[in-house]
Amino acid sequence: MNIPRLNGKMVKRLILKDWYFQRWTIVAYLAAGALALFLLGTGGEGSFFAGSILLITVLIGLGIHVAMATIVQERTDQTLPFVMSLPLSPREYTTAKILANLLIFLVPWLALSLGTFAVIAGRAGVPDGLIPFAALLLVEIFAGYCLLLAVALVSESQGWAIGAIIFGNLFFQAFMYYVSHHPAIAAAMKEDGIRWSQPAVTLLLGEFAVIVLLLGLTFFFQARKTDFV
Amino acid sequence: MTDLAVHFEGVGKTYRHFALDDIHLELPTGSIMGFIGANGAGKSTTLRILMGLLHQDRGAVRVLGYDMPAQQAAAKREVGFVSEDMRLYKAATLAWHMAFIRSIYASWDPAYAESLLRRFDLKAGQKIKGLSHGQRVKAALLLVLARRPRLLVLDEPTTGLDPVARQEVLGALMEVLADERRTVLFSSQNTLDVEQISDLITFIDRGRIVDSDDKETFLDRWRRVRLEVPPGVVLPELPGIVGASVGGRLAVLTTDRFDPAMAAAYREAGATVQAVDIMTLEEIFVANVQSRREGQAA
Repeated sequence: MNIPRLNGKMVKRLILKDWYFQRWTIVAYLAAGALALFLLGTGGEGSFFAGSILLITVLIGLGIHVAMATIVQERTDQTLPFVMSLPLSPREYTTAKILANLLIFLVPWLALSLGTFAVIAGRAGVPDGLIPFAALLLVEIFAGYCLLLAVALVSESQGWAIGAIIFGNLFFQAFMYYVSHHPAIAAAMKEDGIRWSQPAVTLLLGEFAVIVLLLGLTFFFQARKTDFV
Repeated sequence: MTDLAVHFEGVGKTYRHFALDDIHLELPTGSIMGFIGANGAGKSTTLRILMGLLHQDRGAVRVLGYDMPAQQAAAKREVGFVSEDMRLYKAATLAWHMAFIRSIYASWDPAYAESLLRRFDLKAGQKIKGLSHGQRVKAALLLVLARRPRLLVLDEPTTGLDPVARQEVLGALMEVLADERRTVLFSSQNTLDVEQISDLITFIDRGRIVDSDDKETFLDRWRRVRLEVPPGVVLPELPGIVGASVGGRLAVLTTDRFDPAMAAAYREAGATVQAVDIMTLEEIFVANVQSRREGQAA
């Protein structure tokens, strides 16, 4: 089958459009994330706990905000016919939406993840062994975002998107409980050095596999769509 | 061979409670077609299929020589689309939208865009959320017209506009149509708007095209004949009578194939022809749809 080439220029324009509309969202979440890192890095146990909760909330909130604003809102605000009337194919629209969303989410996510690792590594009294645990949770949040992105893009429905948010959050809670109670991972968390236990590596690889699968499924289902407005 | 800007051949799309069925539509290049139908008749579905926004279940669609929906990206480069339910980004200004469209279309004409801004009395620096409905429609039209598309597809652009805004929009369209190479497909429930700018008319009802012809032919062939029929007089059955209402001695016949010989035939039968009324496009549309529906029900 002859698959036409993607119009890279058009895809780039759409990505820049979404970036432009979400620029203040990124700044706001980065600022809230910076506050979370400050709490993580200073004060006592209470401050560390509050920082952790705030960081998780900021990253989950960022994902929800971005997916709802760039995908679901495009339908509810009726701007989708405007976008789809531009010289682009549905495949280019899907590509642009996925790349724009990944960019808008990953910039703050990456910055705050690196910040988290730096705080853990730099703060006395917090074992560096927490870094693999934190990485597992951060990547899980990213996977949860990819699930929301996939559901929002394929369904373009607020109801389905909310369902994905609820499922993602419940799964995250269960995942956090499972990881923190896993003997090998829990043992490594208390160590002064960073040690990637086999279960942690397996879980991390599993998370990345889920992310790739979700993004692949999004393209698969989008390619079969026949109605775009 | 006629150069067709739009060609639908046996196009259909089925939903649970509605089906667009066996649509055949030909729009020659340089023509302005008014596409008239009631709410839910299938106008928007047809135009969305034309734009590749919906994919037909069956049949073939060609737009400016491109197969739809497969070649929609190339086709949409030369097609301007404005629909009543299309919105711009409310958080952005019109200037941002103009820059955005300009960055996509090489054909963007800045001077024409400026003149449209003045003509439509729009301010480029104003955010979309601060515009009235009429201003938003004009902004959307500006974005489309200033890139000078070969084909304009307008899905009920005048719906919800006040009379002044409607005239401004129609005026701008008429100006654009001075370019003979531009083709327009204009859907509306408002037959008056369509009558002003169209040279071809197509009626759609319940997912089917019920009639399509050039405007003058439509207006020429449809008439309402008022007769006084004395008792005992039997009117001859003439071809082309699509509706009849009889009350006492008066009969009103509607025909879609009027011929002066018709009046003579009624006179010969003993009836008095009181009047042969020219019908408006709206009357023609309503009579056409009613006769088709009655025909389907019978």
